[in-house]
Amino acid sequence: MRILLIEDDAETAVYVMQGLHESGHSIATARDGRDGLFQATGQDWDLLIVDRMLPGLDGMTLVRTLRTGGIETPVLFLTTLGGIDDRVNGLNAGADDYLVKPFAFSELAARVAALGRRPRRTATDTTLQVADLEMDLLARSVQRAGRSIELQPREFRLLEFLMRHAGQVVTRTMLLEQVWDFHFDPHTNVVESHISRLRGKIDKTHDTALIHTVRGAGYCLRESA
Amino acid sequence: MNLPRLFRTSSFRLTLLYAGLTGVSFLLLFAMIFWSTTHFMQHQIDITVAAEIKELRNGASDSSLDSLRRIVQKSTEQSPGFFYLLQDRGGTVLAGNLPRLDPVLEIREWVGDNRLAQYRKIDIRGLGVDAGEGAYLFIGMNAHQVYEMSESVARSFLWGCAAAMLLVLIGGAAMSLSVLRRIEGMSQTSRDIIGGDLQRRIALNGSGDEFDHLAISLNAMLDRIQILMDGLRQVSTDIAHDLRTPLTRLRQRLELAQERPTDATALHATLATTLTAIDAILQTFSALLRIAQVESGARRASFTTVDLSELLHTIVEVYQPAFEEKSQLLSERIAPNLFVSGDRELLMQLFANLVENATRHSAEGAHVTLFAERQAAALNISVSDNGPGIPADMREKVLQRFVRLDASRSTPGNGLGLSMAAAVAALHDADLQLSDCTPGLRVTVAFPAARSV
Repeated sequence: MRILLIEDDAETAVYVMQGLHESGHSIATARDGRDGLFQATGQDWDLLIVDRMLPGLDGMTLVRTLRTGGIETPVLFLTTLGGIDDRVNGLNAGADDYLVKPFAFSELAARVAALGRRPRRTATDTTLQVADLEMDLLARSVQRAGRSIELQPREFRLLEFLMRHAGQVVTRTMLLEQVWDFHFDPHTNVVESHISRLRGKIDKTHDTALIHTVRGAGYCLRESA
Repeated sequence: MNLPRLFRTSSFRLTLLYAGLTGVSFLLLFAMIFWSTTHFMQHQIDITVAAEIKELRNGASDSSLDSLRRIVQKSTEQSPGFFYLLQDRGGTVLAGNLPRLDPVLEIREWVGDNRLAQYRKIDIRGLGVDAGEGAYLFIGMNAHQVYEMSESVARSFLWGCAAAMLLVLIGGAAMSLSVLRRIEGMSQTSRDIIGGDLQRRIALNGSGDEFDHLAISLNAMLDRIQILMDGLRQVSTDIAHDLRTPLTRLRQRLELAQERPTDATALHATLATTLTAIDAILQTFSALLRIAQVESGARRASFTTVDLSELLHTIVEVYQPAFEEKSQLLSERIAPNLFVSGDRELLMQLFANLVENATRHSAEGAHVTLFAERQAAALNISVSDNGPGIPADMREKVLQRFVRLDASRSTPGNGLGLSMAAAVAALHDADLQLSDCTPGLRVTVAFPAARSV
């Protein structure tokens, strides 16, 4: 992916750049908001990573300006610790996702991957399939190898999210935000419990597991180990 | 209070403006009265003089100058209020009590310095007419009254005007002084506060006037600022106090790893535990900042109507599997359609924290129940468990930051969960109470009910 990182802190920039470079992305940086906006509009990018606090032009204004200008490149917003309002404001300005600094690199990598391959959803998208697991979004039914599986609404949402991001790592935080609308970190192993329950329904009676734990990062739904 | 300060007040400037306006209207009134009285009296004189001339002419036996002279002579002796003059073509005085005059056929007067030499003290106004055969007849009257009157009118007006001005100025100064004194009191209080005496508040005089209203608002603002500052101070103290321990431990661990020659695997393990420790510290930071933000009250601006019933169902749904893993039971008794005005994200965290608290501090097999019901004007939500509970004397304390029953801090948690819950409850004007559930703990959050939708 071609990624533009707009971040004024040199150390963070290097940290993000190195990591994403190793993940196989090509990445450029801008050190202030004005330069960032200039580069963002001047070239074609697959993803913009924008810091909330920037000299010259703040991240919020930058994203809003891009969106007003009709540039729909996905934006991952980096916000500071504890800024409750930053998330809502960032998303309102037109960002696609947000990440609170400081973050684990695995978290950033997972979100970058999710944004980059964001499927452009269409109305005809009524079924999802991974290996022998099928989900009918209209009938709200799930089958594996032809056998119907009963899921509770929240389990259905969890599985749907995993299937939409099949092959990608989804982190615990992503699941908390997207599936349960939890924008804080619960200390109880909420996610783990739900995943293990879902595993019991999806994987238990089958030889090949679909839900994999990625150590130190999160989970991944994919065909092979 | 120095005088220049008084003169610079806006109320005193207003007073001056009013004084000016009053003065101008006084002058206008004076001019009108002066003009009309003077004019009226002069007119009276002119009429009287004209009538006298007519009478003299009628009184003369014929139109000859001599008979006129006789009658003028007679009138001069008999009518003391009048001044007469009859002179012939050559200017020789034939009769009367005035010196020779230029024969000017019109109304004329001698006032002030232009008085006739003979009548130094008397103002004269009169009419000169042609008496026939080139002779000139003038009859005048003492006009002293007219000017006396004008002068007296002018004098009284001047005094009145001066008195009025004086009164206005004194009143204005008094008013300005009282305003200035109130303002000065406020400024003094502000200066004291700036100087560091944060407890100072503006005194009210109890009259309920606009200054009292202003003082009440300002005092409320100061109280709010004080609360925020206390919160901030509390946070910094807490951070210094409670983060020192984990940071010290972290430092020791790193120092140890640096000093001892260890293999790569051991170093890796140290790095992993260090990262975990740092993450925990960051999480504590984040939680502290979040609490501070919630306490600042800024979130109130984005309140919407939140379906508490639905939110609580979600909480139960989210935590159910985690409870089952610990062989604990989470049950719910939630009345439908409970709505409050609030911040959904924060309310979610409030109840998540309470439920987590219940599961974390209860043993396996414990039973946690989430109740939600409408009672009179309030919505009561409670989370009760049958765990060890909290001794009565600690119930208030555990709401403070970092306060934990487990003083050794060996159980997981950062001692901020209930603080956050209390902060969110306070933000929603809800009352958070801890009570005994015999056995166990019950946390009740009572919301003022929003109108049901």
